[in-house]
Formats: sequence, C-alpha cells, structure tokens
Amino acid sequence: MTDKFAREADVAVESDILVIGGGAAGNMAALFAAKEGAKVNLVDKGGIFRSGCGAAGNDHFLAVLETGPDWDTKEAFLKWYNQLTQGMVNPQIVENGYLRNIKFLVNYLEDLGIPMKLDKTKDDYIRTQSFGQPGPYFINFDGKKLNPTIAKEARKEGVHFYKHTAITNLLVKDEQVCGAVGFNFKTGTFYVFKAKAVILATGGACRLYENTTGLAFNTWQSPFNNGAAQAAAFKIGARLANMEVIGFTLVPKNFSAAGLNALVGMGGHLVNALGERIAFKYHPQGEKGPRWALPWAVYWETKEGRGPCYFDLRHLSPEDLHYLKYHLLTVDKVSFIDYLHQKEIDLAKDLLEMQLIEGELPAMAGQVHGIVIDEHFQTDIPGLFAAGGCALAVGSMAGSMCCGKTAGEEAAAFSKGVDGILETDDEIIAGFKEEIYRPLKIKNGIDYRRIEGKMKKIMSSYVGIGRNEKGLVTALESLAKLEKYLAKIQAGNGHELLRCSELKDLLVIAQVIARGALIREESRFGLSHYRGDFPESRETWHKLILQKKTGRETETAFLPIYH
Amino acid sequence: MSIVIDTEKCLNCGICVENCPGDILYQEELRIAVKYPEECWFCGSCKVGCPQDCISIVFPLEVII
Repeated sequence: MTDKFAREADVAVESDILVIGGGAAGNMAALFAAKEGAKVNLVDKGGIFRSGCGAAGNDHFLAVLETGPDWDTKEAFLKWYNQLTQGMVNPQIVENGYLRNIKFLVNYLEDLGIPMKLDKTKDDYIRTQSFGQPGPYFINFDGKKLNPTIAKEARKEGVHFYKHTAITNLLVKDEQVCGAVGFNFKTGTFYVFKAKAVILATGGACRLYENTTGLAFNTWQSPFNNGAAQAAAFKIGARLANMEVIGFTLVPKNFSAAGLNALVGMGGHLVNALGERIAFKYHPQGEKGPRWALPWAVYWETKEGRGPCYFDLRHLSPEDLHYLKYHLLTVDKVSFIDYLHQKEIDLAKDLLEMQLIEGELPAMAGQVHGIVIDEHFQTDIPGLFAAGGCALAVGSMAGSMCCGKTAGEEAAAFSKGVDGILETDDEIIAGFKEEIYRPLKIKNGIDYRRIEGKMKKIMSSYVGIGRNEKGLVTALESLAKLEKYLAKIQAGNGHELLRCSELKDLLVIAQVIARGALIREESRFGLSHYRGDFPESRETWHKLILQKKTGRETETAFLPIYH
Repeated sequence: MSIVIDTEKCLNCGICVENCPGDILYQEELRIAVKYPEECWFCGSCKVGCPQDCISIVFPLEVII
C-alpha cells in the first residue's frame, strides 16, 4: 500500500440528484435529469466512458417502432413481455419506462451518430427475431461507441462524474434517502454524496457461483457487477423481488461471451453430440424460444449422455456468416473474433461448442428479479429511484436506457419538491467509513478471495441447478457462518479494498437468493429455479416473492402476477 | 495472459487504463502494467479505445483448449 493512500481529507459534495452507476441506465438517467434542470452527480467504479455490461459495445437493440405490422405495436410488445416474464413485471413500468421512450431513443441515437441502420443499400434497419418474440424486435446496430457517446452528452449537460469510486451505503434521514457514501479506490478518499434524490443504476450481480470456465472473472455479464445497488437498497429496507430466479445462458466453450442472441437470430442450429437438433424437443419455438429454454435443452442433453452441444452455423451463406462475425458477435464482444481465431474455429466448417454459464443475476430482456419500483421508478424508500439491471423493470441495453431516462426525469421532478438536503447523523457516517477501511487495518487476517471462493462453493453446491429444501437450509446456515468472517478480511491496497467491498454485497445477495429459493416451493423458468423436491410449476406459486429486511430479520411478502 | 500491449507502439497515454472497467491496468512511469490479468473480463474496452491500435487480447490456455 502506498503511503499516500487514504491520507486525503474526506470529501462531501451536494447535488439535486446522485446517480450510482454509469452504464446504460445510469448515463441516461443522469443526462435526462440534467436536461430537466437538476444538478447531477454520477458515481461509478469504472472510468467515465466505458462502464457497465455494454462497456465495449452492444449489437442488439430491443425496439418497437410501430411501422405497421401487428407485432410492431405497443400492444403486441406488452403481450409478449408479459408472457416472457410470466406476469412478473408491472406493465405500467413497461409503458412508462420502455414504450414511452423507445422510438424517441432510436432516433436520438441516430442523431448522435450511432449506426442504427446497418442496411446501407436501403438505408434501413436490419431487424432479427429471437427469444420467443412475435416479430423481429431486435435492431442489429453498431453500439461500440454507445456508452462513451451518452456519457459525453451527459457531461455536456453539466453532469459531474466521480470515477473509480465504489458506493457502499445509502444515507437515510427521517425515512427518506438523502445520499450515499463510498470511496475512491485509486486515492483512498472517502466521499459523502448528499442529494435530494438518488438513482440506483448498477446492473445485475455476477461472481456468485463457481465459474464454469474455471476463471473467476470470465463471466457472461460484467464480473464487476456485484449487486451493489440491490445490497444497498436491501440494507435500508427496500424490497427485492424474485431474486431466486437466477439467469442462465449458453456461451462458447470456456469463453463466457455474450452472443447467443446473434447465433439464434441469424438462424443457427443447436445440436447435440449425435448431430441431432435439440431445441424443438424442449420448446415448440425451438432455437427461437425464450432464452431459458436453450440452457434447459443443453442441460438435459448433457445429463442424459448426449453432450457436448454445439451451434451449427455451417448452413449459413458466406454473406450471413460474415455479417454474424463482423457486425454482430464482434460488436457485442470485441474479443469474440480473437477467440475464434486463437481457438482455430472456422464457423463455415466447424461446430461451435457451447456450454452453460454458472448462473448470474443478469440484466436482460425478460428478467424478473430486482429492486421493487413503482411506475414512477421510485423504490419503497422516498427519494430512492432505480433503473437498469438492478431494478425490476425492462432489462436489456435498450430497456435499461429507456428506463434510465424515465427514472432521471421522475427523480428530477421529485427533487424539485424537496426543499433542502437532509443531513444524516455524523456518527452513522463515521460507522460506515470505519467499516469500509477496516480490511486495510487488519493484520494476519483472511484473504478475501478465500471467502469469495467459499461463498461460490456453497452457492454452486446448494443454490445452483437442482435445488431442494435440505440443501437450501444448509446453504443459508453456511452463508451465515461465512458472513462472520467478513470482519477479518484484509486488503493490502485500494484494488483489494474494492474487491472486499464487492464481496460484502455479494454475500448479502447470495443469502437473498438462497432464502427466496427455499421459499418458492415449485420450479419455474427452466434451470433458473429448478427444485428437485417440487419439479413442476405450481399455480399457487405463480406470484412474486418479495424480501425485505427489518432490523436483523428478513420478512417475506407476495404480490400477485400482472395480467 | 489476457491483455498484451505492443511496447514498440504504445505511447503510454493511459487511455486504456481509463477505459478498463475492472481496474486491471495501471499506468507506470515507462509503460502500462497489466496488474491483475486474472481479473480480466476480455471485454476489449482497452483495445477499442487505443489510439495506437497496439493492444491484443491473448486468451489464456484455460479458454482456448
């Protein structure tokens, strides 16, 4: 540890709105709150221009454009989204967050120079269909510059960025949110962000299970998404919904890259070791079915001795293959082409071996987990808003951006009605600070990597695929014991202190997942929640499970599905 | 292995350090250090922003075998 680290004086800053997270949702929230005249601070663990799951790019933009066909209408989208989420997402949120903004957003991005119309000959969109959609909702686009472009717009609008800063706790006074605290892991400086309203926008949670590729940070979505917002909201009494429904997808063997959407959208076939197409055995829509159905197919084929499974793309035309490789896969994950090259795979001749990921709480279209919000994107705590993968709204890049915009506008309107910024008691802030920096002071403590490794072991053993009551009770007992060791984890520098902070959040989230999985006595969404002791979906459990912290206890509540 | 920087071409401008979402890269006096290669997501944020085009993603054996 350098001598200068954590030697600077604490910094306190004020704004109308504090946005936590600078990815798809956070940048949009900050930009559009600022457009409403609010003074906005944005804080992120990364730099300013490349943050979140879409840091380096994105290739599919979920869009309803109302161009004429029956499927391209708000009504058709609402119906599909309700089916996809099995009624778990409030349609008013879909309307106020996503549908109200999507046409505007597509035009806005074009105006900013993001290539949305990849069909150069007709100057038109290329749209593809996947994941059970009634029509081709996904605009294929070149989103390599998406994140920095929106960040630049936000900066022009006066948003002030705080980079390399991790938020650990939300500040509350008189049951209203009034800011957050965190630390800059490069300098060690402790920050107190005071605000009239706070928007959480930090994405999903990865690094909860043992990685199936053997490399801890080789996750599907960003491994730096650690459920920070969900944990912070939960700690102050906000409700979390359906956290037991974790997400699975298929990725290339040993490389957890995004790309499934492109592979199925372009007409790839999922085959087993015998060369048989398998997707139709498990879902009537085959490869074009909902995302969860594809991991389900691969899981059972492998269990029954017909794995490994592959994507067969050899029937695609040379033009389609070129388009897939250079306009989709490489735009979504720039290193995809390096993988194919270094693994010596020629998609025109070779099969692409696929594997299951280990389970994450992903930000994606159809996600049913997250912080509970109302149609104004406000959580249960006055002044606290949420959007993006951390919230139960519309996931995906387009969904998060649209919902971020609404959250920004709603929070700006809210802040106008707040006279002054409430002050949290100094001793509470001092307590948070003590907790943040404790790992630097611990001598002969425990390496945080051991605790994270053990947590993943417990989660994979008991809270992964094929759960049951006995295992889940064991998981909860083990995680509670493990949590006691957090007081002894040690860090030697700012980077390690950041990972320690992430670990604390991950352990909160892990326990919420295990508890939800124990409560939900049924199976639903394929592998996402598969109980060996209740292997079928049950109508009595077709509802939202909400968890809320009250003191040291966790309360459970239920909400009926939306029709 | 994960991020390999061509030191002949690199100007040590630090844009990759700024763009890395995982605090993997560090700017030292004479070069960019890949300090935490085992925490790389292979996202390529460093590579897409490099003005010298001198960054390669080289996968470790765990990925390519």
